[in-house]
Formats: sequence, C-alpha cells, structure tokens
Amino acid sequence: MNDPGKDEQIAGQAKELFDDSVERIDAATLSRLNQGRHQALAELQRPAAVVRWGRWIPVTGVAAAAVVTAIVMRGPAGIDVIEAPAAASDFEMLLEMDGLEMFEDLEFYTLLDAVDADTNGNNG
Amino acid sequence: MSACAGFSAVSCIREQSTGAKTLQRERQLNQFLAEVERRALRIAEIGVRDRDEALDLVQDAMIKLARNYAERPDNEWAPLFYRILQNGVRDWHRRQKVKNRVMVWFGRSASSEEDYDIAANTADPAGRSPEVELQTQEAMQRLEQSITELPGRQREAFMLRTFEGLDVASTAVAMGCSDGSVKTHYSRAVHALRDKLGDHWK
Repeated sequence: MNDPGKDEQIAGQAKELFDDSVERIDAATLSRLNQGRHQALAELQRPAAVVRWGRWIPVTGVAAAAVVTAIVMRGPAGIDVIEAPAAASDFEMLLEMDGLEMFEDLEFYTLLDAVDADTNGNNG
Repeated sequence: MSACAGFSAVSCIREQSTGAKTLQRERQLNQFLAEVERRALRIAEIGVRDRDEALDLVQDAMIKLARNYAERPDNEWAPLFYRILQNGVRDWHRRQKVKNRVMVWFGRSASSEEDYDIAANTADPAGRSPEVELQTQEAMQRLEQSITELPGRQREAFMLRTFEGLDVASTAVAMGCSDGSVKTHYSRAVHALRDKLGDHWK
C-alpha cells in the first residue's frame, strides 16, 4: 500500500547513508578524481579544429589501411614499378629535423666548401 | 612588449575576449565537476561494484562533457553529465556480460563482484564509536545490495533523484526517457527498497 510518508523516510535515510559514504572517500581516490577533472579541463584548451578533425583520424586510418590492402592484394598487375630517384630520398632526409638543422648551418657548410676548393686548387 | 604585437587591434581584442571567455568557462566547468565528482563516483560504484572501474567511468564522463558540451548552458551540465555516466555504466555491464560469457567458455570464474568490499574503500572513521561505525557500514552495505538488486532503470531513477537530487525533468534527460517513466521507475524503486529494507530500517 502507498504511504508517501514512509517512502520519503526511506529516501531520506538512504540519502543520509549515501552522503556519509561520500564524505568518507579516501584521499587517494580524491586525488585520482582531481587528476581526472584536470585532464577533462585540458580538453577545453585543445583547438576546436583539432578536436573536430581528430574524430576523423580513426576513419581515415581505416580507409587508408583498406586502400593499401587493396593495392597490395592486387599486386603490380603489369605496371612497371618505378624506383624513386636518389634525389627524392635526399629530399626526404632533408625534411627530417636533422635536415632542418643543417639548413641553419648552411653558411658554415658554404665556408667549408670554399676552404675545400681553395685547398684542392693549391694542391692541384 | 604587448601580447598583441604583430596583430591588428581588432583581432587582438577578439583574441583577448575569446581567451577570457574560455578561462571563465573553464572555471565554471571546474566548479561543476568538483561539486559532482564524488557523488558521481559513488553512484557509478554502486552501479558497477568496483571502485577502479567507477573512477574510469567518471573520468570518461568528465572528458566527454568537457569535449562535447562545455559550450552548453551550465544548467544543462548535470543531466548531460549523468546521461553520459549512465550510458557508460550500461556499456560496462554489456561488456561484462560478453566478458563473463568468454570467461565461462574458457572455464574461468565469471565475475569478481563477490570480491567487492565497501568497507575496504572507505576512509578511516572520524570521531565515531566502533559500534556506530559498524552499524553505519552494515546499513550502507544492505542499502547498496538492495539497490544493486533493483532493475537497471529503477536503480538509475532512484540514485539520480535521491542521491544526486535531480528533479524529474533533469532525471528524464539523464535517463533518456519521459517524465512519466521517471516517476514510475522511482516509485517502484522506493517500494521495492521499502520491502527489502523494511525489517532493518525504522
């Protein structure tokens, strides 16, 4: 039988016990909650475009994997495989971080070249 | 040197205004999450009977709220947050069912729920006699057990209404159902708990 008073009493007692258990959460757990909250807030600092495009990364990854698989499965099929010329691999190397640092020292390398040329000229 | 060096005055003011707005939003969201996180943890913990899993679920819900709904009015955050959390708890139960089926298939123990001990997850009592402490812990254990035995929707309605204090409309948003359904689930949950706990509670 319905007894609103009794229902409220049950809910009130349950709430009291629940609040008590909330108050007794240990420090280690509170610290983990705090860390989780700060990780969540860090999401606000991420540029919207990164977040928006980031959602497509798994999709594009799967699509790219599917294309690569299809190409590998089909094989060369009469197409001549053209080896990349040496210049291409050099360019790739230059695009790496070390390559960029080398550009910064370009003046130094030019000087070395000039010294080499001078030395060879004097010897030859 | 000015922080706006290299920018036009208009774009500089716009940048500063956006920055201040983001900072204010971050402060509001931080305050909201700090207010709900402990109750959310306990609600998730009662739902999954495991503190570590509950922590992961709460953190996931916080990240999803910040990522997807930070720009929404702050009075919408509570129902949205609990909706994400409840979905997480439901997904967790689905995954557990599959996991248990696989474990049974390989002849291993199906569930570790029996290992869950609420007393092991609480801080040391402060200023209470051992008898009172024991009574409180036993009462909480009985309550948690009774809530766990409720059907899922009743459990959600009861915890959101009673423990989190959401009103009927917000609970309906959090549960993804109508106001009427919330009232029905809540009423049935209270009656069931009254039947289960009646002998123990005055």
